[in-house]
Amino acid sequence: MENKLKSKSNHLPPFFVEHMGGGEQKKAGGGGKKKEVKKETGLGLSFTKDENFGEWYSEVVVNGEMIEYYDISGCYILRPWAMSIWENIQTFFDAEIKKMKVKNCYFPLFVSPGVLQKEKDHIEGFAPEVAWVTKSGESDLEVPIALRPTSETVMYPYYSKWIRGHRDLPLKLNQWCNVVRWEFSNPTPFIRSREFLWQEGHTAFATKEEADTEVLQILELYRRIYEEFLAIPVTKGRKSELEKFAGGLYTTSVEAFIPNTGRGIQGATSHCLGQNFAKMFEINFENEKGEKSMVWQNSWAYSTRTIGVMVMVHGDNKGLVLPPKVAALQVIVIPVPYKDADTQGIFDACAATVAILSDAGIRAEADLRENYSPGWKYSNWEMKGVPLRIEIGPRDLANNQVRAVRRDNGEKTDISRVFLVEQVKGMLEKIQQNLFDVAKQKRDACIEVVKTWDEFIKALGQKKLILAPWCDEEEVEKDVKARTKGEMGAAKSLCTPFEQPELPEGTKCFASGKPATKWTYWGRSY
Amino acid sequence: MVSSLRLPALTSLISPSFTRRSTVSLRRRLHLRPPLAAGFSAQSAASSPTETEDRVDSKKSGRVQDRGSTDRVITPRSQDFNAWYLDVIANAELADYGPVRGTMVIRPYGYAMWEAIQDYLNVKFKETGHSNMYFPQFIPYSFIEKEASHVEGFSPELALVTIGGGKELEEKLVVRPTSETIVNHMFTQWIHSYRDLPLMINQWANVTRWEMRTKPFVRTLEFLWQEGHTAHATLEEAEKEALQMIDVYTKFAYEQAAIPVIAGRKSKVETFAGADKTYTIEAMMGDRKALQAGTSHNLGQNFSRAFGTQFTDENGLRQHVWQTSWAISTRFVGGIIMTHGDDAGLMLPPRIAPIQVVIVPIWKKVDEKTGVLDAASSVAETLKNAGLKVKLDDTDQRTPGWKFNFWEMKGVPLRIEIGPRDVSSGSVVISRRDIPGKQGKVFGISMEPSILEAYVKDRLDEIQSSLLQRAISFRDSNIVDVSSYEELKEAISLGKWARGPWSASDADELRIKEETGATIRCFPFEQPQGTKACLMTGKPADEVAIFAKSY
Repeated sequence: MENKLKSKSNHLPPFFVEHMGGGEQKKAGGGGKKKEVKKETGLGLSFTKDENFGEWYSEVVVNGEMIEYYDISGCYILRPWAMSIWENIQTFFDAEIKKMKVKNCYFPLFVSPGVLQKEKDHIEGFAPEVAWVTKSGESDLEVPIALRPTSETVMYPYYSKWIRGHRDLPLKLNQWCNVVRWEFSNPTPFIRSREFLWQEGHTAFATKEEADTEVLQILELYRRIYEEFLAIPVTKGRKSELEKFAGGLYTTSVEAFIPNTGRGIQGATSHCLGQNFAKMFEINFENEKGEKSMVWQNSWAYSTRTIGVMVMVHGDNKGLVLPPKVAALQVIVIPVPYKDADTQGIFDACAATVAILSDAGIRAEADLRENYSPGWKYSNWEMKGVPLRIEIGPRDLANNQVRAVRRDNGEKTDISRVFLVEQVKGMLEKIQQNLFDVAKQKRDACIEVVKTWDEFIKALGQKKLILAPWCDEEEVEKDVKARTKGEMGAAKSLCTPFEQPELPEGTKCFASGKPATKWTYWGRSY
Repeated sequence: MVSSLRLPALTSLISPSFTRRSTVSLRRRLHLRPPLAAGFSAQSAASSPTETEDRVDSKKSGRVQDRGSTDRVITPRSQDFNAWYLDVIANAELADYGPVRGTMVIRPYGYAMWEAIQDYLNVKFKETGHSNMYFPQFIPYSFIEKEASHVEGFSPELALVTIGGGKELEEKLVVRPTSETIVNHMFTQWIHSYRDLPLMINQWANVTRWEMRTKPFVRTLEFLWQEGHTAHATLEEAEKEALQMIDVYTKFAYEQAAIPVIAGRKSKVETFAGADKTYTIEAMMGDRKALQAGTSHNLGQNFSRAFGTQFTDENGLRQHVWQTSWAISTRFVGGIIMTHGDDAGLMLPPRIAPIQVVIVPIWKKVDEKTGVLDAASSVAETLKNAGLKVKLDDTDQRTPGWKFNFWEMKGVPLRIEIGPRDVSSGSVVISRRDIPGKQGKVFGISMEPSILEAYVKDRLDEIQSSLLQRAISFRDSNIVDVSSYEELKEAISLGKWARGPWSASDADELRIKEETGATIRCFPFEQPQGTKACLMTGKPADEVAIFAKSY
């Protein structure tokens, strides 16, 4: 993040404080028209996405009621609005992995230091971020106990115990849980927090082929989460040696891009661990010929970070913009009564509209609160990013129609109540598609193909997502990092996309001038 | 590895760790005890027959021989309940030891039971207007201190984080034992006017209580649960909510888990630290000990006063909110295991069972195999399409007899056998887990999908209600009405529950605990009519209480 985010509740964005205070004042004062108007004006965001992205983000996740800041820096409260998005994605993914015969289980949060240190490369990656329980009640523990930063070392001793023969394979387990990484660099809601929710899958196979296949099957599910549910274009690819998972064989990922900050963001990872952990944890099996061999392992995870990427990509200056597929509420119905109008008739029409949509499986609600004006409600639900707003006023009532307003582009359409369900369904699909298309267009516009270091530096300065020919040498990537170090953070490789453009013979590495072997995405990242 | 896996200070009570990597094969040769059976808790030392080891051993060797049922024999339930419980958990692959004393690994078969609980309750919570959310796991110690009786109740069990990212933390952080304090901290910021009420949320989370005596599922350092938290404008609404949620739990216990819990109110002594009233569902386990299977608390204004959680009412006056909290945990899985089951192992209620129907194909000659397997697969497909949870056990490594015993031990409600003769007659043989031997076995059920599906579904319904009926009879035959302390003592010494009028003091209640080991489980909602005299003092009593030893 370019701008430091506020991370304590006593540093809430000004609007938030004002909003809460305003609410109290108003009610304490008995509520007056004047105050209400004042409140209405306060309903916006005080930062714009283009000018102050960091502040905009931290404001929009709070005002959109996704997150609440908390007294402990880097810990956030996930409010129902965010949690339901998480649950919608979870429902999809959980069902898909169950089809793949992955089973859910639960391993403990607590890790003893010995287990944690079993795999050296692995622990080097995580050790600086571990939180330790050192006391129970008043008494000191003789040996401090760690809270899992990830569960490889917790789980694999059991894999060693449970796996004996080839019939015990494949072993495919997943858990939904919280993990703790006590980082100090800029905590950011969803994107980087000290505790977060995720799923972690851990599988063991008899052969490398099976493991390789699963890595890609899972990666495809991650792509679908981003592209089909969150409407975010991602690139599937492989991580460089420097960026791969500590202790693993290779890492694949889906990479998203945030045009506003020009940063790549790792969306989810699917690792092939090879036999490294199997060796450390003695996960052996007897194969069909009676020979002892080591298993091949994978691990894969996605976290609540997905929600943060969604906010960053789709949100606008009015607030959140939620893709219909994951939104807790897809349609908000708002009555627009005028003086002398048939208020009851309008309210009834709203209720009937909600009932019809709900019966059709659309997540709809009416906002019938009487202490807020329609205008205030529009802003409120725009802030929360509800994909479609339906307004019903006297004229709509007379014409047996409703007015539908899209959150993504503001388009207004009058819909006959006769075709309500079909029309609304169609519009939700269009919104879902349009969000993806727009996001893809913006992302694609940021892609810059470079061939030389000068072009690279220039593109980096322009916040581009850089595709460059590379020699795939670790030293060269380290060199790139060193040479681009600065306030904004160093550039690094994001991934080598599976879909490779043609690489003409004789193409040189953009950074080293050595023969290039592949096209790789580069940029700054979260 | 052992030393690194466990805390020496805390292990003195407990038997060795689950594995000693370097000597693992040696241990197995020597027929040392396998981990879980070797004792999750101090009490479990008596458990673990050597048969369990054979199984691990034979598995390890890879030369799996069929030993009929002998390699899976578990301690009979009738002989040693606790040993049976631990054996079943190990052999049915429900759970394993965690790497840290008192923690557990919930294996897929056990976790699927928890998922069945979640699936049901999550829907009920949403139907009753609650939203899910997630609060951080870390709570500043100062929050916990705010509600006096709360901190007193929980402080000995708190796990404290003092180091994070290589640095000493400024304030020690509590790994949540429950979330009332953090919830109230946030409610205070979210609730302003009566329009913000009721506020009703739930979270599914892990919680930590640093307990000394642990037992898988029943009491572990870390466990999974849901915790509901609500805030209301009036005492009446809060009371209604607390009762509504204990009712949701009660229905769940009866209808899904086939556990005839007794719902009631806790005594003052047993009330949750920080609550005005605690409602509970108490279940009788197979050893007749009571298990508190779920609780719902009316917190009154205790937390709202401590945290200043106020709202402006319709008259413009500031008021403290009235609150509730309620929870069910993975302990409930232990309750299901210990309610049902017999000497042969688990017996799962169909609505909770991860596998409702197991299909065992039977063939002797090679030329029979294909026909039998084809028929078995098509039966499996039929039942899966009917929405049932089906397992086809088609491995050729084990004999049918071995498989029968294995799936019985795992508690699968229905078994379908298909042999060559069944294939030619287009029928199957179906056995019920809850009725042993020939009586539970029916021959000649047609494979025709519609007939088979209907038959299987009917039997599952029957099993569901028969398990409940059985548990009700067991419960009712083990509750004794008592009218004096002598009678109470006798009932408790016989291992039964005692039900008697009670209006005596907290001190008397504690004395009973001291002298008999029994506590007041609850004042049941269902009360006998008529005037009563306290069993202890002879003074008039409004209510009867149930006394029992408990987990």
